[in-house]
Amino acid sequence: MKQKAALIAPLIALLLLSGCLPTSIIDDVLLVEAEGIDYLGDGKVMGTVSMPNYAANPNPGSGGAGLPTTASMLRHLSGVTYDGKSLVDRFQPSGQMPLRVGKLRLMLFNTAMAKKGLYKQIDLRNRDPDAPRDMSLAVVEGSCRKMLTSADYQTQIPVARYIQDMIEQNSEHNYPESTLETFMYAYYGDYMDPFLPIIRKQGDHIEMYGLALFKGDKYVMRLSENRVFTFKMLFQKFSQGVYDYEFAPNKHIALKNVHTNVNYKVKNGNSSSPDIYASVNVRAQIRQANPGSISKSTGPGMEKKLNKHMAKEAVQLVHRFQRKRIDPLQLGQHVRSYTRNFDGKSWPERYPNARFHCKVDVTIRQTGISE
Amino acid sequence: MFWKNSKKKNDQGPAQPSKSIADLLVQLETNPDFNHFCHKSKTLTCWISYINTVVDLEYIHRDLLPALYSERVQCMKDIAQVVPIDKLIETRDLSVIQTSLLDGYFMIQPSKRSQHVYLIPCPKKQARQVADTEVETSIVGAHDSFVESLETNINLVRSRIPIPQFKVEEQRIGKLSRTRISILYIEGLANKANLNTTRQRITDLETVSVINANMLALMIGDNSQSFFPQFIDTERPDRVSGALYEGKIAVLVDGSPSALILPSTIVEFFSTIDDYSLNWPIASLYRLLRLFAVAFSVISSSLYVAALTYHYQLVPKDLLATLIVSRSSVPYDPIIEVLLLEVMIELLREAGVRLPTKVGQTIGIVGGIVIGTASVQAGVTSNILLIIIAMSALAAFITPNYRMATTIRLMRFPFILAAQMFGLIGVGLCFMFFVCHLLKLTSLGRPFIEPIYPMRVTDLKDSFIRLPSNMQGQRPLFLRTADKNRVNLHRTMQKKGKAKPDIDE
Repeated sequence: MKQKAALIAPLIALLLLSGCLPTSIIDDVLLVEAEGIDYLGDGKVMGTVSMPNYAANPNPGSGGAGLPTTASMLRHLSGVTYDGKSLVDRFQPSGQMPLRVGKLRLMLFNTAMAKKGLYKQIDLRNRDPDAPRDMSLAVVEGSCRKMLTSADYQTQIPVARYIQDMIEQNSEHNYPESTLETFMYAYYGDYMDPFLPIIRKQGDHIEMYGLALFKGDKYVMRLSENRVFTFKMLFQKFSQGVYDYEFAPNKHIALKNVHTNVNYKVKNGNSSSPDIYASVNVRAQIRQANPGSISKSTGPGMEKKLNKHMAKEAVQLVHRFQRKRIDPLQLGQHVRSYTRNFDGKSWPERYPNARFHCKVDVTIRQTGISE
Repeated sequence: MFWKNSKKKNDQGPAQPSKSIADLLVQLETNPDFNHFCHKSKTLTCWISYINTVVDLEYIHRDLLPALYSERVQCMKDIAQVVPIDKLIETRDLSVIQTSLLDGYFMIQPSKRSQHVYLIPCPKKQARQVADTEVETSIVGAHDSFVESLETNINLVRSRIPIPQFKVEEQRIGKLSRTRISILYIEGLANKANLNTTRQRITDLETVSVINANMLALMIGDNSQSFFPQFIDTERPDRVSGALYEGKIAVLVDGSPSALILPSTIVEFFSTIDDYSLNWPIASLYRLLRLFAVAFSVISSSLYVAALTYHYQLVPKDLLATLIVSRSSVPYDPIIEVLLLEVMIELLREAGVRLPTKVGQTIGIVGGIVIGTASVQAGVTSNILLIIIAMSALAAFITPNYRMATTIRLMRFPFILAAQMFGLIGVGLCFMFFVCHLLKLTSLGRPFIEPIYPMRVTDLKDSFIRLPSNMQGQRPLFLRTADKNRVNLHRTMQKKGKAKPDIDE
């Protein structure tokens, strides 16, 4: 009898107390989809959150009857607060329903914010168990608020999803993958620096505008769009990128890479000027070529030209990073992994003197359906 | 109050056992269908009694009485020689006399109150014709099913197992009903311990009557509190004979068109006879489909509740809009919505079963289409949920065994409640509870979820997947049969000889 009571009592308590659990019923919360943070100076920021606005399907019979209650929901909120404040908490007083951060897909920072440093924002997200790790981060050339609240886009879908789809789609092509997770990995990891894509509003649409390279948490350098392929080529193996090469004035050839992989080798890792050897293999098809510029006979010659050109570009790129003392390619990690008893303390001093050698091997697999 | 009354009635004692044959005859004589008369001829005088509603009257009038009345019968001893019968029982035992008379025996007494009687069996059995299976239908397999007569049922099984080792043991259960129960097994295959347990459980049963086999299954089951049926009940003689060949035991109850198969494991509840008439990869796929259906049926609505109440993060972004829009006009929480629809489906099903077949179909259409659509348009439920509930109901009906299907349909309610209380953790807890229960459950003392735990790799050959018959050479390990190999393994496993080149040297 006593045993039964001991079993039943907690069950009853569970049953009765379960009403006290806070719920997030899907249509009774505001799902924050994007946050934008514009730096105002003096530790103040202008925060913007954007919520999706799901209008009921106008097709008769497929939706419910009555007024679509979500159609009239709040779409965005903005206001001034201090850097590092959780925007959900900031705007809760003005929310018509509880705001939830669990479906956050996008965090935008304007260039001023990025230049000032993101560590407070990153720390906030790092602490938050609710926020997804695979959300996209991006630096906005211009105002985040304007980008998130403008109503003049061509597309009808919520702008947060529009931007996120765009970033995600691009990271399958030329842009390296960048999510909160990869950003935090590079930010907290040793011998590496993070990067984020830059986006900007161009009239009635949004476009990718290169890569923002960070030194620690501070935005220090923009990589223009036509260098992104080279960057990604040195950063990870990938496919489906497009590389445009102007082999003579006004004569272009465009490659679509079927597969690209990169191998690093390091010599003299603990010397004052370590040698880093990158060997890149590019297998590609010709997407577009100046008429008559490529044929069976000229193919090998073009490959050689490309090898040289791409290697030169890669070396130039790394030199620029070295001058800025940033390491978005995580070369330091490669050096460390190739060096026994790696001297990490002196690495920041030695990194600018490191000699970077690059060998590119382009193989043209296909030149299109016509000869 | 009611108890007192019934006790008083009992005191008047219609259930008093007869002390002597006179008492018995007096007791029976009040019935209009009891014939008790004196036959007087030149050579023999005797008393004849029988109950004309349980005996074969045609046989008595055509064969028995003319022979008995003939002049060749000089005394009682002559009956066996003259009358065309295969069995004449001579007895003084009152209990034998009583049961025989009630079973349709023809009784002959030398004098009216004589204790010494002769009994001739001539029972008439009213039984349905062997008909098509209705509960466990099969497309390509056999179509005959058990009927309400024990003799016919045993005949159906015995004709499939024409060997002398096939044994039928008969017992009578039920203090008042004295229902005949047969235990079927193949001697030399069935495990002795299993057999003894079965015998003991049946003989030790304290009950007034046994109405059908499923009732017996509940009474002799290992855990009568459990949601899960522990013995398979089947109406298919081919399934029973297959089980007997595996070394299992079958129990038949007179008046019940289903047989019990003992012991059973949980995976057997999800296999059908059609699995064995299909190619093994196809059969395996269908078994996996059934398994998936069960999981879907149990989990889906509770996952809906959990995801929509607590874990909005889990909903894919493209589904989010659909879900929110379809739920936007629903005034209730997900749990109320789900319970509403689940109860509705259960009502429909129950109404469909209780109503006559022709009306039942209409109910299905009215319920499924009209109520479903109307409830979505009225904004009481969301259309996504309607799809989920309908699919999970459909999935539950896939389970071949009716009793298991009922269990699975009802199992989802604790899951739904747990999901409302604790979200996914609740679903996990509920799942753990059921797993613990299943781990403890036994069937005839054998572990109920046997191929999974305890893990018996060889028994997996005929569980979630069905391997080809050349790999089914061994009987299930868990039955501990006396002969563990079905076939000569040495011959089935024999490698082909080395191919020799035609032209040598």
